[in-house]
Amino acid sequence: MATPAFADLLKFRLHKNLTRWLVSGPPFLFLLLFFLAPSLIMVLASFRYPGEFGGLAPLRDANPAVLQGLTLETYRFFFSDVIYAEIFFKSFGMALATTLACLVMAYPLALLIARSPRKHRDLMVLLVILPFASNFLVRVYAWMIILGPQSAFAHAIGSALELFGITPVPLLFSPVAVLIGMIYVHLPFMILPLYTNLEKHDPVLLDAAQDLGANAWRRFWDVTFPLSLPGIFAGSALVFIPVLGMFAIPDILGGTRDMLIGNLIKEQFLGVRDWPFGATLSIMLTLMVLAWAGFSMWLARKWSHSHA
Amino acid sequence: MRWLAALLCLLALPAWARDELHLYNWNNYISDETVQRFERECRCKVVQDYYSDNEEMLAKLAAGATGYDLIVPTGNALEALIRSNALRPIDKSLLPNLKNIRPEYLNTPFDPGNRYSVPYATTVTLIGYNQEKMRELGLPTDTWAVIFEPRYLQKVKGRVTVLDSQRELLAAALKYLGYSANDTDEAHWKQARDLIIRAKPYWAAFNASSYIKELTIGNIWLAHGYSNDMFQAQQDARRAGRRFTIGYGIPREGGVLSLDSMVLHKSGKHPDLAHRFINFMLEGKNASELTNLIGSGNPNAAALPYVMPELAANPAVFPDAEHLKKLEMLRDLDRHQRRVLNRIWTEIKVR
Repeated sequence: MATPAFADLLKFRLHKNLTRWLVSGPPFLFLLLFFLAPSLIMVLASFRYPGEFGGLAPLRDANPAVLQGLTLETYRFFFSDVIYAEIFFKSFGMALATTLACLVMAYPLALLIARSPRKHRDLMVLLVILPFASNFLVRVYAWMIILGPQSAFAHAIGSALELFGITPVPLLFSPVAVLIGMIYVHLPFMILPLYTNLEKHDPVLLDAAQDLGANAWRRFWDVTFPLSLPGIFAGSALVFIPVLGMFAIPDILGGTRDMLIGNLIKEQFLGVRDWPFGATLSIMLTLMVLAWAGFSMWLARKWSHSHA
Repeated sequence: MRWLAALLCLLALPAWARDELHLYNWNNYISDETVQRFERECRCKVVQDYYSDNEEMLAKLAAGATGYDLIVPTGNALEALIRSNALRPIDKSLLPNLKNIRPEYLNTPFDPGNRYSVPYATTVTLIGYNQEKMRELGLPTDTWAVIFEPRYLQKVKGRVTVLDSQRELLAAALKYLGYSANDTDEAHWKQARDLIIRAKPYWAAFNASSYIKELTIGNIWLAHGYSNDMFQAQQDARRAGRRFTIGYGIPREGGVLSLDSMVLHKSGKHPDLAHRFINFMLEGKNASELTNLIGSGNPNAAALPYVMPELAANPAVFPDAEHLKKLEMLRDLDRHQRRVLNRIWTEIKVR
């Protein structure tokens, strides 16, 4: 009696596994091919010599005078000066500031959308996504006009500052302009995961908390906020990591001190023909992002344990 | 009978598929009229691809891009292409118009004897400025000092941009310090770095292209940039009816001369057509159209009669022997020098 049931179960399991593989296989292979393989190429490139005219020097060359083989030289070059660590530090600061600003701005908005009547929600989400309809570079160029010294916006900010006795500062070509650009471009990436999370919260929970005597503040901090943590983490990752590698915004809006790690890497490939150094910088960046992700995961787990 | 006609048409199709010349050129570096005239003359099609930076072009070729008949690299990139054995020698017997090129632009150190390259156009890296503002503030416009010396810069703080290019900015600083633009002495580089870092707080940005627009609008009053970009800013400001004019000139310490040349890439499939194109571009009238369009200098002596008089008379566009002496073409750096400069540049950008 038990055997056929077991066979059925096995069949079911097999079937389920097969389906799972069929569904998840292609994206898995895609990632394997287009994430892992390029990463390995990067690792290899970082140990090679730069080609004299761009690209990489040959691994093996008949002419013994030509530099060939593998070397640690590029890593030595990276660690020989504290300046590269400085740029990493600055880029992490920029990414952190952008993420926090996006979080502070996106949370109330996501909450508002999630608590709006259903018929308004779709429209509001659509409005959040709408900027994606035009090219990101065009939108950043628009900020050049908005922040430029002749714009009404810059005049308004300038006169507001003057009221407080502060001499107006130029907005365009400054770290502030870079930060504004970063926040502007990445805000939707914070709003959407937060909204998806907040929308799923059961309103009954808030009613229960209210019945137990919790005021609006406590209802938020003890019910809504802890439940929204996965959304916060997802949104933060979606903002933090792209900002870390961003080079177009500092290029367009930044001033004379706003080089970030993305700009430095881009320059190695497109500006100074030093692919191995570009690869080394990219690997360092990847390692730091992974370390950072691991650290935040550990922190999150510890935090949720202590609050369980 | 109708099907027969259709079949004939179909068979005739390959005959209509015209030859294609693949041109990999700078953005906006040839006049549309010139291209159309050549297409009519050769009954072929010119397929264009663009780059905005020599390094971008080299990077694309290093990554394996192929199929380009003609490329228009600047001197140091030309040197790189020749040494990496990427070019096809030109056949001078197919280029009777080569005689039109001025001798001072032939036989450069990049390509002795012009085995691979035919001069196309020149650009000078210099200073462009808002004439009225400079006059009002009493600033000189004929010296790099105005870009590098705080005593001048404090009057134009936040209104200055410099090129976002390691070689060009370093060359300007080296020239100002009295060295050669191709000086590779590390001590001199460091001196140049310190000069740049001292001047940097007064600059608005390192800028590669938007300085044209910023000069035209009046946001920027002083810019280190290319002569043809300054010409464009000047024209734009005039067309927009601004109350100021954009001027530009070669600083008395000298500057960088970039010579762009036509070369044949080995991967090109139509070397004959490419030679025909080069010879066509060497005709005075055809060569002049680019100058009139973008204000680039022209190594072609036969082009001068067709060039707008205001450009022909401008020594920043057509440098005379006196100016030419002070201009230098940038040589390519080797691997080690590139890394040293790379670090100096990072310091400049971060400090």
